[in-house]
Amino acid sequence: MTALVAIGTYVPPDRVPIESLADEFELTPMQLRVFRRYHKLGSAAHAPSLSLTELLGLAVADLRLTVEQAARIRYVLYARTFPGVVPYPLNPLHEVCRSFGLQHASAFAVGHHACASGLLAVDLAGRLLASAPPDALALVLTGEKAFTGEARFVPETSMFGEGAAACLVAASGPRDRQLSYVASLRGEFDGELEEVAGEFQRIYHDALGAAVTSAVSSAGLSLSDIALILPHNVNVVAWQRVCKRIGYPLDRVLLDHVADYGHVFCADAFLNHRTAVARGLLQPGDHYVIAAAGAGRGATFSAMVFSH
Amino acid sequence: MSDTTTIDPDLRQQVVDTICELLPRVLKREVSGASETTTLMDDLGMSSTTGLELVLELEDKLEREISVEDMGRDNFETVGSLADYVAGNLLPEE
Repeated sequence: MTALVAIGTYVPPDRVPIESLADEFELTPMQLRVFRRYHKLGSAAHAPSLSLTELLGLAVADLRLTVEQAARIRYVLYARTFPGVVPYPLNPLHEVCRSFGLQHASAFAVGHHACASGLLAVDLAGRLLASAPPDALALVLTGEKAFTGEARFVPETSMFGEGAAACLVAASGPRDRQLSYVASLRGEFDGELEEVAGEFQRIYHDALGAAVTSAVSSAGLSLSDIALILPHNVNVVAWQRVCKRIGYPLDRVLLDHVADYGHVFCADAFLNHRTAVARGLLQPGDHYVIAAAGAGRGATFSAMVFSH
Repeated sequence: MSDTTTIDPDLRQQVVDTICELLPRVLKREVSGASETTTLMDDLGMSSTTGLELVLELEDKLEREISVEDMGRDNFETVGSLADYVAGNLLPEE
């Protein structure tokens, strides 16, 4: 049973306020008020002086891998929202592998589930490790640069923040064991037509809620067994509506970082996990859900249940 | 949660009128013949964020704060359903 061994994170100290996006994205004062008041988006983490390689490297460094652990890493999966994040032939993933002595590992990117790709990478890492030697490990990297307009702001929805996470995964282990994984792929939302966007908005909360409840029942549990949901930090109002649909208390969804970090691409789940553990919100044996929705070419609604 | 049986009908009508008055401003286009049966998303193509803008504009116009704790997508179905929600969820005046 796939297990998370350790999580390293990095969030830069600088912030950009939502108001700084107003001119570029033609946001009215009323739209800015909506973002702050209802979406609870206030600022996004920003690392102007760090390259993507440095950003990812700081999260890996936070893992404090031993030489022995590094030698056991067979796979390095970079889960990201955007298909391309640097010009050819640059390859930040391979640079990070070189910096940490991981050249022996198979390193590749996973991106087809957009912001839900982090969950896909954890599941894929577990499946790859299932046929590897029992002591083998995989490293899942997440985090991107908010380097274009599309990577800074999602109209009417969210603002992206910079940060990174590195998650060490094993085929089995005593803690943070993956009990289930559900990914609902909705190819019909491939497109940028107004009707497609409208329909996506209409089904969003039901679809994300369905992924959560489906993952919980696949794990043989009910929602009342779930101590905490670790969400993607898209905004607060989306999670209010998901919670209302599925009848789950909003105060058990860890939304602390939405207002401060923004939506840190695929790294949200891991940053939130770190916070949940630091704040003592997860006790041994607690069941929790990691959930995310990804939109881009098509849409993905994903949820994973773990036992802490 | 609002209970529509206890809503002051005068207040509700005032909210309906105010919503209809605000629609062109929020949607940034002319809106003719809006009434309480007008559907916000289907007839007017309102997005969820524009709906929230409308709620903020209503707060400014009514000079009252609206509790959004229980607000869901269903409340934005029609002008009338939004008026039901708003009239039933105005926070007490300080």
